[in-house]
Amino acid sequence: MSDRLRAFYGQVVAVAVALAIGAIIILMVDESPAKVFVTLVRGAFGDQAKIAGTLLQTTPILICGVAACVGLRGGMFNVGIEGQLFLGGFAAALVGFALPLPSGLHMIVALVVAVLAGAAWVSIPAYFRTRYNTNEVVSTILSNYVAVLLTSYFTIFLFKRPGGWSETPPILPSAYLPEIFSFSRLNWGLVVGLVLAVAVAWLFRHTARGYSASMVGSAPKFAEYGGIDVKRQGFIVLLASGAIGGLAGGVETLGVHHRFMEGFAPGFGFDGLIAALLANGSPIGTIFTALFFGALRSGSLLLEVDTNASREIITVIQALIILSVSAQVLMKRRGDSTAGERRWKF
Amino acid sequence: MSNAPSAAAADNAVEIIGITKRFGAFTANENVNLTVRRGEIHAIIGENGAGKTTLMNILFGLLQPDEGKIRIDGGDVVFTDPAAAIAAGLGMVHQHFKLVPSLSVAENVFLGMEIGRNGLIDHAAQIEKTRGLSERVGLKVDPTERVGLLSVGIEQRIEILKVLVRGARTIILDEPTAVLTPQESRELFQTLRRFVAEGMTVIFISHHLEEVMEVSDTVTVLRNGKHVATRSTAELSKADLVRMMVGRDVSFDRRPREATHGKIVLDVRNLWARDERRLPALRDVSFTVRAGEIVGIAGVAGNGQTELAEVLAGLRPASHGEARLNGRDLTTLAPAEIRKAGFAHVPGDRMVRGVDGGASISSNLLMGRQHKAPWSLRGLLDWKAADKEAEAMIKRFDIRARGPHDTVKRLSGGNIQKVVLAREFTNDPDFLLIDQPTRGVDIGAQEAIHSEIMNQRAAGRAVLVISVQLDELLTLADRILVLFNGRIMGEVAGDKAADETIGMMMAGLQPAGKERELAL
Repeated sequence: MSDRLRAFYGQVVAVAVALAIGAIIILMVDESPAKVFVTLVRGAFGDQAKIAGTLLQTTPILICGVAACVGLRGGMFNVGIEGQLFLGGFAAALVGFALPLPSGLHMIVALVVAVLAGAAWVSIPAYFRTRYNTNEVVSTILSNYVAVLLTSYFTIFLFKRPGGWSETPPILPSAYLPEIFSFSRLNWGLVVGLVLAVAVAWLFRHTARGYSASMVGSAPKFAEYGGIDVKRQGFIVLLASGAIGGLAGGVETLGVHHRFMEGFAPGFGFDGLIAALLANGSPIGTIFTALFFGALRSGSLLLEVDTNASREIITVIQALIILSVSAQVLMKRRGDSTAGERRWKF
Repeated sequence: MSNAPSAAAADNAVEIIGITKRFGAFTANENVNLTVRRGEIHAIIGENGAGKTTLMNILFGLLQPDEGKIRIDGGDVVFTDPAAAIAAGLGMVHQHFKLVPSLSVAENVFLGMEIGRNGLIDHAAQIEKTRGLSERVGLKVDPTERVGLLSVGIEQRIEILKVLVRGARTIILDEPTAVLTPQESRELFQTLRRFVAEGMTVIFISHHLEEVMEVSDTVTVLRNGKHVATRSTAELSKADLVRMMVGRDVSFDRRPREATHGKIVLDVRNLWARDERRLPALRDVSFTVRAGEIVGIAGVAGNGQTELAEVLAGLRPASHGEARLNGRDLTTLAPAEIRKAGFAHVPGDRMVRGVDGGASISSNLLMGRQHKAPWSLRGLLDWKAADKEAEAMIKRFDIRARGPHDTVKRLSGGNIQKVVLAREFTNDPDFLLIDQPTRGVDIGAQEAIHSEIMNQRAAGRAVLVISVQLDELLTLADRILVLFNGRIMGEVAGDKAADETIGMMMAGLQPAGKERELAL
């Protein structure tokens, strides 16, 4: 428990350091950091509609974050969530406009297809990882570009809605994820994300398979020795992570945009990965870190209206958080500065 | 008492006076006094957790004492960090080496104090100086080699060179032999003797008695953080040392046993395997282990023991031959199936294979049982049952921990080993493979572990013990096989094993009168 508490404090310090450096940068553009931060908070939580807007931004980050958590806990660094999200989003749209089904069932089928699309997309790097021990970080990153451009191609050349925009025809209302409030596009996707986070945490802790997967993640040689099929487990973990990434895309399509378009949901996959890293791979922790990043995104909308700072300051702060979290990991290991390299020796 | 260095005090390289160090409620060192004369090899011995490493970390400035003071060469000093200790002529070789694998030997030696020329690193000068130093002190290394490719023995030499380059006159070595083969240990001792002959001082932490007896001039014994005695080594016997360390008499005589003649449980035939470099590491190995029998594998580390253990456990493919456990060929099975066939395995590299250090004791004891009742039911884990089982095992194996939720890496080496034994011995196996049963384990725990292994024998299990410590095999084994260069050189009955016979075979020589063809 004290370990976990210490980890928590560490992350809080990392965020605080990032915000402090962010403040200095804001000063450099002649703006008051206090004003910027207050505006951010107001923009994120100022009234009902703004809170709903924040939660709307939180939803895809949360689901992508849970996808990343599955990978991290199982020892697989899935950096391809962005691509799985695009594939899932496109697949859900395809089912949504091209396959008329009864209300409700239509939505579920579309989500299932999104899940399958995400899993199918990650199965390529997963296969190479299992069969040839290819580094999954590199192959999943590369698969992002292919996914984004492939879905663009599909959208522009095969399924383009007649008219000016690079987008598919709208999906049928029978496939919509219902909205929670009348005043916002916030939808049941958020509930899907929350349930998913709790479910994944529970699976890792309370099932034999979850135990095996997390052992492969934390001590692969021990797991192998203990009779766990490490390669198979790694494949399953990547597949599950990709499937959830696909789900994130499906939720975004069916809940928010109601169509697939070029450049849809940019960066949610990466934000989710950062949220998961900041939460140390804990799905429950990711609920809060995703909310934090969601609030940053949503709060930044007000930034350019009320202050002289560009909303890109949010990207800067996120980058600073990544830096300070990684610096913290390095500092924790400073007792043995060669730990990182040693890993490869064995 | 005067602070001015008297003539007698100036003969002392190091004086530690009344050092106390507490970590919360735990007292690691209590009023410890230690005087090390210049030019001696001073051994500090004690069980794990006796406070040896803490004391040395204080001396080296890595920790600050709560009370007490330190004198170097007769003058009071306060070391706030290791840099100050290094400046005062101290050097420490840690138990776990801190080298950069991707850099060359010379680069590692001069890391942080590179020789520069025109703002660039002068590699040629570094290589030349490393070579010169290495030849002068007799620590053979190739300065241009990359450290990642070298053995632990050589890595240790590099660590010592690093310390020398930084101008150390007093060298502290923390359990230097724990990772070495007997050969490498002997070479290290020769080096240490050469150092003291040149007027340097060596402080040597160990819990290996033979070595202490062999190499040291003076011994200081610590127990439970307190200073027990400082004596001249010549006045002491091994038994005296053990009594001072443990606080009671401990026996490492051969364990009494009933003769047994069980059925063959493990039958290894013509087994070959390759190492990481794809070179043959096991060559045509054949032997059997019967129920109720302990077979020992002796040999200098790196002669195929690791490969033998890994092939049997299904962690490395065999290139030829078979190993049948109750009739099933292990070389064709996956680790999970091998375990199901009645195989238990205490691995040699405990922290990598044997446990997940960051996880709890319960979680570590769960490995291999996550699909079995009462630990799990229909794929769902029952952590309450797991904790209960863990508590029972903690009790039975006398694991010193706060409870089943204690993190494994916080335990001492001996207690971590007991966690592994507890898991493996309670699986009701037919065959146990125990690789280095007591490596890095203190004496009190060694005795307990040996008793557990004898219990397994008495329960009719077939046991294969691999150990680089010959005395351990003489204590335990019914038969001893000697591995050399991947080949079984010969077999000796455990009760008739004269040290010289085994020693010759470990060195690759056939004992007289037992001519055997050495076909390669």
